[in-house]
Amino acid sequence: MRAQPHAGRQLVALLRKDLRLELRTREILIAMLLFATMLMLLFQFGIGERAQDLETPDGLPAQVTDITPFIGGILWATIALTAVLGVGRAWVPEREQRVLDAILVAPVSRSLLMSAKAISLYVHLLVLELVIVPVAILFFVRGIGPVQVGAVVVVCLLASLCIAVLGSLMACLSLYARAREALLPVLFLPPLVPVVIAASGATHAATQGTIDMQEYRGYCLFLAIYALVFCLVAYATYDHVFDD
Amino acid sequence: MIDRPAQRRALLWSAITAVLMVVSLFGIFFVAPTDGDQGIIQKIFYFHVADAMAALIIFAVAAVSAILYLRTRKERYDEITTVSIGVGLVYSILVVITGSIWAKASWGTYWVWNDPRLVTFLILLLLYASYFVLRSSVEGERRLRYSAIFALIAFASVPLSFYSVRVARSFVHPVVITNSGANMPTSMLVWFLVSMAAFLALFVAVLQFELVQMRVGKALQKLKLQLEGD
Repeated sequence: MRAQPHAGRQLVALLRKDLRLELRTREILIAMLLFATMLMLLFQFGIGERAQDLETPDGLPAQVTDITPFIGGILWATIALTAVLGVGRAWVPEREQRVLDAILVAPVSRSLLMSAKAISLYVHLLVLELVIVPVAILFFVRGIGPVQVGAVVVVCLLASLCIAVLGSLMACLSLYARAREALLPVLFLPPLVPVVIAASGATHAATQGTIDMQEYRGYCLFLAIYALVFCLVAYATYDHVFDD
Repeated sequence: MIDRPAQRRALLWSAITAVLMVVSLFGIFFVAPTDGDQGIIQKIFYFHVADAMAALIIFAVAAVSAILYLRTRKERYDEITTVSIGVGLVYSILVVITGSIWAKASWGTYWVWNDPRLVTFLILLLLYASYFVLRSSVEGERRLRYSAIFALIAFASVPLSFYSVRVARSFVHPVVITNSGANMPTSMLVWFLVSMAAFLALFVAVLQFELVQMRVGKALQKLKLQLEGD
C-alpha cells in the first residue's frame, strides 16, 4: 500500500487543480475583472458627477473629475462586491462535475481542502487587484507616489486575506442551499463590512498626499486582527463543514 | 408530552423578569439621579446600554451553544442557539431604535454614521438576520451544522465591532465601560445593572418558553405521523 502524501503536497495538488482549471477556462477571473471595471464606472457616474458640489480646503470648487477622497470607498466596495462573484463560483466546478464527491472520499483532510480553496480565492483576488488598483489610481487619484502605492499594496494583501478566508467558509455554507446565488451575498457581505471600512480607511489615509501613519497603522492592524480571528474560526470549523 | 418541570421553570423566570422590570423602572425613574447635562432623556441610557450589553451576552450564549452542538450534535443546543439569536436580534433592533431616539435628543439627528457602535449594531443586526435566511435555505442535518458554524462566524464579528470603535477614533459616543471599570457613579451603575438583569431574565424566560414550545411541537408532529401511519 502506498504511503499517504505529505499534507503540504496534498495542499499544493489541490491548489494546482483550482488554478489550472481557472487558467484553462478563465471563466471566473474575466467575469470578475469586467464586473469590477463596470462597477467603478458606475461609481464614477454616480459619485464623480457630484464631486463638483465639493469644495477644496481653500473654499474653491473641486475639480469635477477629482474624486481622490472617495477612492478608498470606491475601490473596496468594488472589490467586496466583485468577490461575491468569485466566492459564488468557488465550489461550482467541483459540484457540477461531481469532483467534490471524489475529493471527499479521498484521504485528504477537510482543513486542507478548505485551505486550498481559501488560497485559491486569495490568488484570484490578488490578480484582480493587480489590474483594478492601477486602473482605480489612474482614473480617480491625483498626485500619488510610489510610497503611497506601496502602502495600498499592503492594504490589498491584508484585506484580500480577510475576504478569502471568510469567502471560503461562506462558499461552503451556501453550497447546498436553495437559491444559492441569492443567499451568498446575504451571508457574505455583512461580516465583510468591517473589512471594507478598515480597507477603505487605510486606502484613504495612504492616498491623501502624505500618509497619515497613525490612521493607516490602526486600520492595517485591524485588518490583521480580523484575518487572524477568521483564520482561527475557519480552522475550528473547517472539519465540520463537509462532515457528511 | 408536556414537560411540567420545564413549564414551571418558564413560569418562575417570567415572575423573576416581571419583578426585575418593575424594580428597574421604579429605580430608573424615581431613585437614580437625573443627569445634569442631558436631563430626563439620559434615562434612555438604562434601556439602550443595558439592552446592548444583554444582546451581546445573548449572542455569546448562542456561540457557546453552537460550539456545544458541533461537538455533541445534540439538537437541544441547536434549539438554544436559534432561540438566543432570535431574542438577540430583537434586542439589537431595540438598541438601534433607542440609540436613534437618544441621538435625536443629543445630537439633533436620528442617525450618525460616525458613531461606529450604533453602526456596528446595525451590521450585527443584518448579520444575525441572515442566520435565519441560511436556516430556511438548507435542509436536514446540514441546516443545524451550518447554522452553528454561521453563529460562530457572526459572533467573531462582535469583538471586532468593539475594536472598530477604537480604530475609527470616534468621540461621538460616550464610552460607558472602560478598561478601568464603569465610567458612571454608583447610584447610576446599580440601576443600570438591575435593568440589564431584567433584560437577561426576560431572555431566559423566553428561552424556556420557546424550548417547551419546540419540544411540544416535535412531540405533536411525531404523534401526527403515528396517527397517519395507523
